[in-house]
Amino acid sequence: MILHTLNRSPTESRVYRQALAAMGPDDRLLLIEDGVQGALPSLVRHFGELEGRLFALREDLEARGLAGRCAAEVLVVDADGFVALTEEADKTVSWF
Amino acid sequence: MQHDSVETAGELLIILRHAPHGSSWLREGLDAALVAAAFGRQVTLLFCGEGVTALVAEQTAGPLGQKGTQPTLEMLAMYDIDTLLVDQQALDERGLTAADLLLPVRPLAPPQLAAALAAHPLVLNF
Repeated sequence: MILHTLNRSPTESRVYRQALAAMGPDDRLLLIEDGVQGALPSLVRHFGELEGRLFALREDLEARGLAGRCAAEVLVVDADGFVALTEEADKTVSWF
Repeated sequence: MQHDSVETAGELLIILRHAPHGSSWLREGLDAALVAAAFGRQVTLLFCGEGVTALVAEQTAGPLGQKGTQPTLEMLAMYDIDTLLVDQQALDERGLTAADLLLPVRPLAPPQLAAALAAHPLVLNF
């Protein structure tokens, strides 16, 4: 399993499509930095088929006032959760 | 040596996602590939998205004489970097075919992209 991180919003950059295209069926996606905007209910559809494998970083959500505004299907993790996800993955690939 | 499947490919996969000239990302990625190869790593390159334009034949230096990346691509064989994977969809989107490219490549259909990432223990994204 690969942990993919994405730090760009789907409204601002199409890189999320490259990330999705490169993801295997068990891979996970963690939204960080500006990427957490993709966790908003109106934008989460861009990550359609990732149910249970889509994460967003709490610290970056909080910094942007978005912590309470995430779509229900997004799994919110803090920095320790990020570490745990990294440990569980074979490797990490960043998309930026 | 051309590998038959992405599963038998090298240890390090370098993904190149940026076009030549517009930024230094492509050059940085190629530099990383050459350095890794010089240290004996088996390197695979994957040209993705806008990165496929790096392979278009007949590129030149920039209008102000800025160095292009074509000379570096032509050196890859000397470093035994000969597995060049290309995102077929990105070629299609740009109306490019293998005949437009300066080096022989292996086009990958969308499902094979994930397999390529999974098959390499190390992945660097540029």
